[in-house]
Amino acid sequence: MSSDAQPVPAEADRQSPESVDRPVDRPVAGPAGRLAPATPENNRPSAGWALFGSELSVLFRRLRTWAMLLALAAVPVLIAVVVRLAADEGGPGGGPPFLNQITQNGLFVALTGLVVSIPLFLPLTISVVAGDTIAGEAGHGTLRYLLTAPAGRLRLLAVKYGAAVVFCVAAALAIVVAGAVIGTILFGTGPVTLLSGDTIGVGESLVRLLLVAAYVALSLAGLAAIGLFISTLTEVPVGAMATTAVLAVVTQIVGALPQLEWLHPWLFTHYWLSFADLLRQPISWDAFGANALLQGGYIAVFCALAYSRFSTKDVLS
Amino acid sequence: MARTWKRWLPAAVVPAVIAGGVLTGSLQANAAADLPDKTPQQLLEMAAGSDVRELSGTVEQDSALGLPELPQDKPAGEGGQVADALALLTGSHAARVYLDGPDRARLQLFDRFAERDLIRNGAEAWFYSSKKNEAVHLTLPAGKGDSSDGGASPQAEAYTPQRLAEHLLQSITPESKVSVGDDTSVAGRSAYQLVVEPNSTETLVGSMVVAIDAETGLPLNVQIQARGQQEPAFQLGYTKLSLGAPDAGLFDFTPPAGATVTEHAVPQHSPKAEKPQLKGNNDGGAGVRDQVTKHGSGWETVTEVPAAALPDGWADSPLLGQATEAVDGGRLISTSLVNVYLTDDGRVFAGSVPLGQLQAAAEGR
Repeated sequence: MSSDAQPVPAEADRQSPESVDRPVDRPVAGPAGRLAPATPENNRPSAGWALFGSELSVLFRRLRTWAMLLALAAVPVLIAVVVRLAADEGGPGGGPPFLNQITQNGLFVALTGLVVSIPLFLPLTISVVAGDTIAGEAGHGTLRYLLTAPAGRLRLLAVKYGAAVVFCVAAALAIVVAGAVIGTILFGTGPVTLLSGDTIGVGESLVRLLLVAAYVALSLAGLAAIGLFISTLTEVPVGAMATTAVLAVVTQIVGALPQLEWLHPWLFTHYWLSFADLLRQPISWDAFGANALLQGGYIAVFCALAYSRFSTKDVLS
Repeated sequence: MARTWKRWLPAAVVPAVIAGGVLTGSLQANAAADLPDKTPQQLLEMAAGSDVRELSGTVEQDSALGLPELPQDKPAGEGGQVADALALLTGSHAARVYLDGPDRARLQLFDRFAERDLIRNGAEAWFYSSKKNEAVHLTLPAGKGDSSDGGASPQAEAYTPQRLAEHLLQSITPESKVSVGDDTSVAGRSAYQLVVEPNSTETLVGSMVVAIDAETGLPLNVQIQARGQQEPAFQLGYTKLSLGAPDAGLFDFTPPAGATVTEHAVPQHSPKAEKPQLKGNNDGGAGVRDQVTKHGSGWETVTEVPAAALPDGWADSPLLGQATEAVDGGRLISTSLVNVYLTDDGRVFAGSVPLGQLQAAAEGR
């Protein structure tokens, strides 16, 4: 199966995943056979899921992953404890949105935690995971072993991105769950007042919280795609992580400059804080839809870029 | 490496496809079916005869009046309401509108992490602000229930394009040229465009364009152009619209536990006094209407409000100081559509005319 002589782009397009599924056609130094025998039937689709599973277990067995999730969970806990300690003094309003509702309803701790974490903490942790995807393997010198297993570069990339998205979900859930739990313990729960002034029960408010978590995870998936692409550019994982994190911050700064207003709807951070639309009655899905479109665009573009870059890259480490 | 370029194809194709999708999407949004021709008179009758009283929609307002952007998250307190009112005239705002019959309406004005709601359900009217967690309750006196005459309630409908268009179209004078513009599409509905241009060359208003739904005659979008400005100075229109009765539960409002609830009585003689919760502080404004004098006519009308009709010290607000510039004999709030001239002796002159005419009106007395 030599696709070298295929001149038609459309056909090449269709074939390219297949062609990279073959063992890499470059000479690979090192004990290539060590990984290969374990997965002799890796060309089946199920092999991708096996690889995904092992990637997830690697990700979630790392101390670093848990340290980051714990740090994220600590944000709402910190907020709740501080508000609890200060509540008796009856400080004036101000601070981040939802902060003054916390004392009435513990579930708002989760929302305040999200508002506080979205600008920096969440992007930072996503940058670490996404920037590490390819560059981390390259930096450890394990990338070429991964590629000698007949998993293929496309599949490896998909698995890496999938794991990063799972981390996005985990990160959002860490804040929401920790916030809801600590809020319930310290302040109790009850019917939740939405922004529209209507009141909903605890059950429905938990559904809304999960929706908000899904919204935030979706928002971060775009950043994860950017991080994946940057990660294919370098073999220094720290460089990829830092670049992704800086990009997230710079984009938010650009998003705050009124002089660049025409650009704002195209920035991947544009809808990050618009999850409040899920707290109206009835739910306003406009922001969710617009955000999904925007993030989908970023995911498509940067995954395509990452694929192109990664599949043409000379893997030397 | 003949295959290398093929592997870069996705990186080129995907952005191209997305760009194409965005382009066709925006083209389709503006493309409209070719509607049968109508005369301006027919359009006016169509708009006047529109009887859509049940709808839910999303309204968006954009202003480019040249007013300074105001800080959104200022602490509540003095000047809060003035600032709220001015903030409505800067930047973009989105709101949802629900109408069900003549006396049930709900307006949800979206703020960042907050919302302001106006609910009207028969004789009950509520105003709720989530930022302050405050609710104001009005019980409308019997007989004032019909809002067709402007009503006595917080006007949830006041923010809809149809009410604004009604207001604007009423003010068409013989000094205007009325024509029909290109067919357009608003919120996915085909619409006619009625263009009103002043004959006067002195006024700041360039033109007003009202998009009228081809099917129901409902005004869907209102655009006001200022002279010498490319983008519309003011625009209010639907971005989403569905006709039909909204969920009845939307109009049953119970203030949330913990909210500060204020009861307001509605004065019989002055239905307008309680209305402008949204539009600004009008305390003591009951008599203003009677003391206002008009100079000139048509598009060049200058409205004068004597110092006595205004609350004491209102002009000392630091916010006002920021928004005004010093001119001969007073201060000026200059926007691309309206100029407001505050004389040193406390009178206020406003109109869609250049400063010179305001000063002339002020000196004329």
